[in-house]
Amino acid sequence: MAMQELPKKDFFAPLKAWKFLGKKPVTIEVPNKVKREASDRYRGFHINDWEKCIGCGTCSKICPTDAITMVEVPGLVRDHGKMPQRPVIDYGRCSFCALCVDICTTGSLQMTREYVHVSEDAEDYIYMPTEKGLDAKRGVYEHGKAPLGWVKDENSDILDLVRVKMPMEEPEVRVKSFIEIVKGYSKEQAEQEAARCVACGICTYTCPEHMDIPQYIESIYKGDLEEGLRWLYRTNPLSMVCGRVCTHRCETACSVGVRGEPVAIRWLKRYIIDNVPFEEYDRILNIRPEKKGKSIGIVGSGPAGLSAAYFLATMGYDVTIYEANARPGGVMRYGIPRYRLPDEALDKDIAFIEALGVKILVNTKVGQEINFDEIAKKHDAVFLSTGFGLGRSTRVPGTDHPNVKQALPMLKMIRDYLRGDGPKPPVPRKLIVIGGGNVAMDISRSMARLQTMEYGEVNVHTLSLERSFEEMPADMDEIEEALEEGVEFHPGWGPIEIVIENDEVKGARFKKCLRVFDENHRFSPQFDENNQIFIEADMVIEAIGQAPDYSYLPQEIQEKLEFVRGRIKTNEYNQTAIEWLFAGGDIVHGPDIIHGVADGYTAAKGIDMYLSNK
Amino acid sequence: MMSSMNDVVKSLEGFNPFIEEIDEREVKVTVSPDRVIAVLETLKANGYSHLSLMTCVDWIDDNQLELVYILFSWKDGGKFIVSTRIDRNNPKFFTVKELWPVARFYERELHEFFGVEFEGNDDMRPLFLELWDEKPPLRKDFDPRDYSRKKFPDRKYEKDVIKEAKIFRGEING
Repeated sequence: MAMQELPKKDFFAPLKAWKFLGKKPVTIEVPNKVKREASDRYRGFHINDWEKCIGCGTCSKICPTDAITMVEVPGLVRDHGKMPQRPVIDYGRCSFCALCVDICTTGSLQMTREYVHVSEDAEDYIYMPTEKGLDAKRGVYEHGKAPLGWVKDENSDILDLVRVKMPMEEPEVRVKSFIEIVKGYSKEQAEQEAARCVACGICTYTCPEHMDIPQYIESIYKGDLEEGLRWLYRTNPLSMVCGRVCTHRCETACSVGVRGEPVAIRWLKRYIIDNVPFEEYDRILNIRPEKKGKSIGIVGSGPAGLSAAYFLATMGYDVTIYEANARPGGVMRYGIPRYRLPDEALDKDIAFIEALGVKILVNTKVGQEINFDEIAKKHDAVFLSTGFGLGRSTRVPGTDHPNVKQALPMLKMIRDYLRGDGPKPPVPRKLIVIGGGNVAMDISRSMARLQTMEYGEVNVHTLSLERSFEEMPADMDEIEEALEEGVEFHPGWGPIEIVIENDEVKGARFKKCLRVFDENHRFSPQFDENNQIFIEADMVIEAIGQAPDYSYLPQEIQEKLEFVRGRIKTNEYNQTAIEWLFAGGDIVHGPDIIHGVADGYTAAKGIDMYLSNK
Repeated sequence: MMSSMNDVVKSLEGFNPFIEEIDEREVKVTVSPDRVIAVLETLKANGYSHLSLMTCVDWIDDNQLELVYILFSWKDGGKFIVSTRIDRNNPKFFTVKELWPVARFYERELHEFFGVEFEGNDDMRPLFLELWDEKPPLRKDFDPRDYSRKKFPDRKYEKDVIKEAKIFRGEING
């Protein structure tokens, strides 16, 4: 094998260097007369667009030299998806690696080409970047004029902006039955999705129950689902339900969602619960409270009631829930359709609450099977969570016909039928649904399924006052999936009357809706009376809103309570005007399950405070 | 890959290499440690005589360090990436300074940043780092932030950075 030869050393080589003496130097004299510009992609001093920056602190977390601190700025407000803090950079530590720029969730943090900053005062090296950039001493550029250097591009972006796709049933398949649509992530998919989280915690503030979202996502990432379960149960005993049907406001706040798709927080939560066997719950969660010897009565076993029961039980109280229906769960059991929330999902959450000693008395309607006074006497405190169980009617002519129905009783009937608890609901060949919210979607899609099972085709017309999908209060996912399943939407129509001939529903007439809300965002629809349509149908279902039913409360209790637009007024601990009586859920706040869980949590704290001070 | 490279790949068959074609002019050859030197010699004899780079990758989960030699040919512009993996807990290999004198410096660098020792090369003086007293910094278990915190304790600043930022933004007057 031939060795490579080294170049021969020349005896005169050192002398040759002298010839450069007379040449123009290549290097630049310092201090120089002409300041030299840095290259286009130079990683110089930072700028930060405060309007874009949401204060997520991801730059500070990734910084390998610990040079970035998040500092709260007076005057900035904490809001949905925004934190009132901005990064401060210590240029005594910064190594100008640009990782902060590459991971920045909003793209607000960038680097300029300014690289000169000469000062003998160490105080000049700490700085909170703004849109104007550093006021560099002896810098190349005038303050605020430094051009951009290193900015993120698709190659340097560290954030993973695309969500792991959730396996779902195809529309043609799912409309034939009530099979659950969302199939859930595999271990690999969940860990990949969890890896997208930057753990900024901006979601925690938005979540009504302030769940430990970054913490349980990290547990998934580490593959430690037991720890994940403990995080979930710290704040939410209905995680299996919420992992499926939560309105997931957290995801609209997610910092990764600013430029990309938000982390699938709801489905990651579900992944934990789906993958920890129920038999292991007791060992993992290990809830062994000292008994307090006091008892609480709860009316209604919906989200708020179950949540309050769980938290009270973990504090050592004896809890009894009174439930009018044959099964616990309230709206989760009887309202939300099975294709979104199967019974089994709910059963697992409730079973653990019962395992803590909570007694659930079903088929016990307060006011019929048991009087409210009796409950009040039996317990040291009472929590009301009876929800909005009554439907509202448009009250247009013809709505008193038996084939004009309310969405909630129909949804209940369908769910009872599917679990073998009740008779088959009437299935019309042609159906009109009035309403643009999620309940309208639920009933439209449930009836579309029954129609497919019965007649092999879908004929559902859903009409709403709101004039566009964006204006409709229903989730966009729900609308899109309903469309895929064959539901026909007619946004922007208000009912005039239900047309009845020979005592049979023939359809309904509608008029064009010009606006739904007035300038003050108050409900005040205006119509074009001349623009009308008729839609054929043999059943009409109204889904325009729900109302509470307080008939179970004795007169003297109702008189003492304060009501604001149909809801019971409480203090910050969900305590009503009657000190031993607490209330929560839809009858206090609404509008969704996670708010109910949050109410149950605060009420439990309130009840504990009340009874401890008594 | 180019036909000239293909011929060279054939001549390597005896070393039981794993061949990956990266593109027309770039081929990765992975072999067991005991065959690396022979493969390098063969490639050098075949015109791939320029050692463009010697580097290392820390595969911490596999408990291995990957040594990488990039050889370039001035004849056809082709590039061979010769790779092998050694034990991370006992990172010893052999010098190639007899083949390429410049390797002395690469080997010093790899010793400094990954902790690899090269038998036959006794000059392992630090090349870049000053007063280094931690584990080699390009090992994956080196935590730059911990090191930074330990080595450079936070300095207390007096300046009101928020006020300065607000002046810069024109929210308040300086």
